[in-house]
Amino acid sequence: MPDPVLQVEDLCVSFTSGGVTADVVRDLSVRLDGGRTLAVVGESGSGKTITGRAIMRLLPRGASARGRIVVAGREMLSADERELRRARGSDVAMVFQDSMSALSPYLDIGAHIAQAVRLHDPSVTRRAARARAVEMLDRVGIPEPADAVRRFPHEFSGGMRQRAVIAMALVNRPALLIADEPTTALDVTVQAQILALLRELQQEYGMAMLLISHDFGVVGRVADDVLVLYAGRQAEYGSLRDIFEQPAHPYTAGLRAATPRLDARLDTGGERTRLRAIPGAPTSLRDAGPGCAFAPRCGLADQVGERCVVEAPLPTVRPTSEVGGLHLAACHLDRLPALQEVTR
Amino acid sequence: MSEPILEMTDVSKRYRTAGGFGRRRKGFLAVDGVSLHVERGEALGLVGESGSGKSTLARMANGLVVPTSGTVRTDGQDVACLSRRGLRRLRRNVAMVFQDPLASLNPLQTVRQTLENVFRAHGETTSTAELVALLESVGLGADYLGRYPHEASGGQLQRVAVARALALKPDLIIADEPTSALDVSVRAQILNLLADLQRDQGISFLHVSHDLAVIRLYSDRVAVMQRGRIVETGPSDEIFRSPQHPCTRALVEATPEAELPA
Repeated sequence: MPDPVLQVEDLCVSFTSGGVTADVVRDLSVRLDGGRTLAVVGESGSGKTITGRAIMRLLPRGASARGRIVVAGREMLSADERELRRARGSDVAMVFQDSMSALSPYLDIGAHIAQAVRLHDPSVTRRAARARAVEMLDRVGIPEPADAVRRFPHEFSGGMRQRAVIAMALVNRPALLIADEPTTALDVTVQAQILALLRELQQEYGMAMLLISHDFGVVGRVADDVLVLYAGRQAEYGSLRDIFEQPAHPYTAGLRAATPRLDARLDTGGERTRLRAIPGAPTSLRDAGPGCAFAPRCGLADQVGERCVVEAPLPTVRPTSEVGGLHLAACHLDRLPALQEVTR
Repeated sequence: MSEPILEMTDVSKRYRTAGGFGRRRKGFLAVDGVSLHVERGEALGLVGESGSGKSTLARMANGLVVPTSGTVRTDGQDVACLSRRGLRRLRRNVAMVFQDPLASLNPLQTVRQTLENVFRAHGETTSTAELVALLESVGLGADYLGRYPHEASGGQLQRVAVARALALKPDLIIADEPTSALDVSVRAQILNLLADLQRDQGISFLHVSHDLAVIRLYSDRVAVMQRGRIVETGPSDEIFRSPQHPCTRALVEATPEAELPA
């Protein structure tokens, strides 16, 4: 088996403020190979964004990470500033939700990309870096790239800006791309284009992609595997097919049922279809007790009883429909009953 | 059939833009000759891409934005002819729920103060029992009265915003992206709450959203906007089963479904 591009082992991220330390991510393990896309799905407080940032070592002040993160053979948590500089951009790059804040309003688009090229390899001349920028803009589908390099971020539409940011992130051919809600701020038609572009480039470059999203619709379009986080812990991990067709965690099943679908059954006999909502609101690890963080919102916790409240479930192996696939769920129930019972 | 709760006829809105030096100000036509109505008890969904003019159109329904031309009749009254007092009366009848509950609630006021202010603004008094009943109608307990916005979650705050909208028993609620800022698991709660209000209290809705799947499930009729115009309108099942206009078709095709790719 080839070495994975990304390997995360027992990652814990904690915040310290006012002398109090609290975990926001606990015991997270992930393995991601080149050419594959892993979607990290979760809601507020799930720790999905902080996990992406921990991999880049871009944690906010007061946060610290323990465990092990290996990107393209490089230990990220023990790396010094110089090594990190080398890793960022060439080993791992990131695309954020808000493209405007990822770009400087004072620099033209070409300067952003050229800077990324020269930071990575100072021997490249300015002229050559600029040429690379034109090439890259062309590759991400920006029309008239020779003209576009001279434009400033505010002259671009949201979709075009996100394309430019992708060009900037990919110009050094990173082994891993972390995309944190890359299409959330975009209109659906533009979103579809950007997702298709990411998928295409990912296949072409054979890179690994970690897609952070709250939207199962987006996930269904690009992911090979899915990691569902709840309150800083892994709720479920599996192939897209397993997650969609035989979810093993009540939260995964509940999230799916709460997501509206355009193709929802049309013959509803007058009465309008309603979504099955999950009661309550998402919590963070800080507010969770010793038991399963999802238990207070779970329709099945009564069936299991006491155990859900006192003992946090560990991920265990579940049936999979993939050859050699891995399907894990952290739930005390061995088998999930029909959906109707999951979300009452 | 009684007259519609909201009727807009050939409504346009041109925003003035800052013209450069020596440049003629042409303005931006956000809404371009739109006619639309909402029947009593009906939920009308308004969809379109950003910048298509759907929020401007929604705001013209209760006089928050004054149309450049055309007429808006709410509950049979021409909004343009109303005095300040008349507008105030109108807003009893037409309430609004915005996208971001944290931005639309005063951070320095408790839920009780926020709700009391609605009554006070319309010269009415209220009792604690009434406020508690109001909160209960949106699924919140009496303990929320003393809370400040930062002490509640996004979904709970949006319930407070809905309670505020319900306070004066409106006939029409304009909801502008009411669930876009909420978590997926909470979004369904709020959508179901709005659907219950329509069914049980006969409240009409003008629901603005960019999310076609949400509109498909929770609206009786749909109007699709593009560049300031309504390009297609009809019963929601029909529109989504066989979209006619290229704009609608593009939106339907681009909407990602939570399912396995074929």
